[in-house]
Amino acid sequence: MRVSVILFALAAALAALPVRALDIKPLVGGSWQELLKEHAGKSLVVHFWGLTCAPCIAELPRWAALQRERPNMAIVLVASDPAPADLDAQAAVLNKAGLSEVESWSFADPFTERLRHDIDPRWRGELPRTIQVGRDGTRNATVGPADLRAIRNWFDADVGRKP
Amino acid sequence: MTYAARNLLGMVCALLASAGSAYAQEHHHHAAPPPTCADVSMACADKATPFLQSDGTLWLAWSANGRVAVVTSRDMGRSFSAPSFVNSAAEKLDAGADSRPQIVRDPSGRVVVAYTIARDANYNGQVLTASSADGVKAFGAPQPLTLSDASQRFVAFALDPAGDVFAAWIDKRNLVAAKAAHKKYNGAALAFAWAGSGKNFAPAAIAHDNTCECCRVGVAFAGPHRPVVIWRNLFAGGVRDHAVMTINGDQPGPVMRVAEDNWKIDACPHHGPALAVSPSGTYHAAWFTEGSNRQGLFYARSADAGVTFGKPLAIGQEDRQPSRPMVFSTQHAVWLAWKEFDGTRSLAVTMVSHDDGMSWSKPKVVAETTEASDHPLMVGSGEHVFLSWLTRKEGYRLIALGTP
Repeated sequence: MRVSVILFALAAALAALPVRALDIKPLVGGSWQELLKEHAGKSLVVHFWGLTCAPCIAELPRWAALQRERPNMAIVLVASDPAPADLDAQAAVLNKAGLSEVESWSFADPFTERLRHDIDPRWRGELPRTIQVGRDGTRNATVGPADLRAIRNWFDADVGRKP
Repeated sequence: MTYAARNLLGMVCALLASAGSAYAQEHHHHAAPPPTCADVSMACADKATPFLQSDGTLWLAWSANGRVAVVTSRDMGRSFSAPSFVNSAAEKLDAGADSRPQIVRDPSGRVVVAYTIARDANYNGQVLTASSADGVKAFGAPQPLTLSDASQRFVAFALDPAGDVFAAWIDKRNLVAAKAAHKKYNGAALAFAWAGSGKNFAPAAIAHDNTCECCRVGVAFAGPHRPVVIWRNLFAGGVRDHAVMTINGDQPGPVMRVAEDNWKIDACPHHGPALAVSPSGTYHAAWFTEGSNRQGLFYARSADAGVTFGKPLAIGQEDRQPSRPMVFSTQHAVWLAWKEFDGTRSLAVTMVSHDDGMSWSKPKVVAETTEASDHPLMVGSGEHVFLSWLTRKEGYRLIALGTP
């Protein structure tokens, strides 16, 4: 069948590609909605960071600690450096911070205003930024290093909340 | 899945979508990244900085995929010379949104360019400069602007009224020194250096410690050897509000606050200010803040050389994320330019004041684009003012804003 032939070709092509140590997905127009859809109904924390943001790099290991503490917490990291981004440098930073297992994305459209507008029309590029998405879809955005204790408490309450 | 594989999956999914199968219907949302512009031609440039010579020759320094190049135009940006590359191979350029190549032509005819590379895995920057004595034909090998292993970023070049080249940037040498001495040091420092016409840069001086480390600085002149610098400072308690300083030759001046925005945040705004000084001596400042006292893009003027600033005026349409402000003064007019995004289009918007910033015209959209774009900038000669804007789709545009 035609579809299976194409899928086989895809699998073969994937196997032939060099594998980056870390799986960083490209965030383009529409990806944000896709990301939210994939995690719909779960308590989700999306954390935006960047290579050129010193407070972000300093904070990342604490996110790794939070993930270890709450393995069932859906944490998604989005590197928001202007595209084309240095993916190897991003992977190195994430590995060093102990975040290689956490779902990661990177801005892949050089039209950063459009990507930011998809995510939050008010966002003008300041980092770090964290968006909590509750199981009922309510969102809360904060700028600056996150209060991870507050995030953990929010997560515990949101998970325990009756749908 | 790797980035490249994801790209491939997007292409395969697009193929399936064109076949119109049920499988494709389920997976069409795996959008492939937009086609990347991978070569080092001007068509792939992401930043372009103009310098307008008094005879009307336009100089442009641009960056594309790790290369930095210079071109000239004698017909106001309609056509350009072949590029003269400044670096001989692609380098890891500073990826910050506010980082851009700098260019000035001094009275000796020398063209000086600066750009910033990420010098290590920790994304410390290094400012490199190169010059060409004979126009765009050949640049010497790029050299460090300052002899320091600490990070330098966001260099701003400006040609002094006396013809010297002034450079200001954000520098981390005092942070490195403080760390070595186990002392606390917040942010970075504002540094500057001079190069006489045709001469190399003199050693750097630190103008002020504890500045924000991730935003561009703005430079204008209050007179010969009197550069005025605006930057995002770190005020007590980690408040990232703006300050100006008038430097007298090699002597830093007092730090003067532009506005009490009270943006107390340990974050990188990636969004620096702009400054102009009009012939009356009035300072015109424009900046972005998310402070507790105001949020958005603002303009304020100071009639006493920065000691006090008037009430900040909000710029732009609030629901269109006004950003990237520029301010430019001629003999008789002050211009503001900025960027807005309406959900589909990026707009370059301007307004003008004919009374030294006391009152302003209505904002006017002068250009737009539906793809990626650089910050809007301005250049001028006499009373002629131009918006300089590089957009991926349309290329470089120099748009006349006004004449007397």
